[in-house]
Amino acid sequence: MHELWITKIFNDNLAGLANGVLNAVHVPAANPRFPWTDWMVCELIVVACMVIFFGVLRARLSVDNPGKAQHVMEIIYDFIHASSEEIVGHEGPRYLAFFGTIFIYILCLNLIGIIPGFDSPTMYPMVPLAFAVCTFIFYNYTGIREHGAGYVKQFLGPFLLLAPLMLLIEVISHFARMLSLTVRLFANMFAGEQVYITFITLTKVVFPVIFIGLHTFVALLQAYIFMLLAMVYVGGAVSHEH
Amino acid sequence: MNKKLMMLAITLMAMASPMLAQGNAAGGDVSNGTRLGAAYLAMGIASGLCGIGQGRATASAAEAIARNPGAVAAIRVALILGLVLIESLALYTLVITFVAK
Repeated sequence: MHELWITKIFNDNLAGLANGVLNAVHVPAANPRFPWTDWMVCELIVVACMVIFFGVLRARLSVDNPGKAQHVMEIIYDFIHASSEEIVGHEGPRYLAFFGTIFIYILCLNLIGIIPGFDSPTMYPMVPLAFAVCTFIFYNYTGIREHGAGYVKQFLGPFLLLAPLMLLIEVISHFARMLSLTVRLFANMFAGEQVYITFITLTKVVFPVIFIGLHTFVALLQAYIFMLLAMVYVGGAVSHEH
Repeated sequence: MNKKLMMLAITLMAMASPMLAQGNAAGGDVSNGTRLGAAYLAMGIASGLCGIGQGRATASAAEAIARNPGAVAAIRVALILGLVLIESLALYTLVITFVAK
């Protein structure tokens, strides 16, 4: 069974732990001898790196003498703040934690695939599905928190007469949002990887580099787009009709 | 021009029919050759129409920026959002070609 070198390390040493955790939640591993999957291991590595990086950054925050990392993170923070104010409205920056996490986490997950020994977890359909479900739950939660029970009025359309039809159409289109978020991220990363493999087999030297460049650009764009769509959905959920 | 395109489309589909004469592979009730041919055709149509849509979106955005250079930021957001949503339609087709049995 093909697995990355680091998944092999996890499977050899920590298989008992993984099987224990999976059996405790009644989701047994597909192959009990190899419970750790490539995407799980790469996700954990990205999470560990991010926690260490942000922990160190937080300890070294300074107003008078900011370092390079603080500058870069401030630029990213201002960018997300401005985008959320523009798209969600005045209350946008309340949800900045969610949008920022989505953006930076998806960006790091996409980019780790470029390093030779690792795989992008977003290349497997389960990981973008997790992000899409979280976004769905989050924007409905913010809508309910903002409007209370009146949140359902959005789904009913302009006239009370049309309400059953509009409700059906709106519910289907909201579930289709989850599907489209998943498929967009998954298909972009998966297709990037397939094209890269094809060109590695076809012409071994110069052209794969162009595809690595394309993969990097697509990784950035897809992370930004996921965050942008999350903002649009939250904006749609919390908007007040004037 | 329209009649020529119609004739071309009908000729292409007629020429593709020998695929149906192949024997059954292990993949169910369509042979592998038919599946691949359908995948190529579907992907071609999806990418072509996606290209037309994105071209129109980009052309509109460029014209809007030319008319109103002060609104570049808002137009850029609308353009990127529109392009990605159109792109995702072609990507659905790509996923189906991999996933369908």
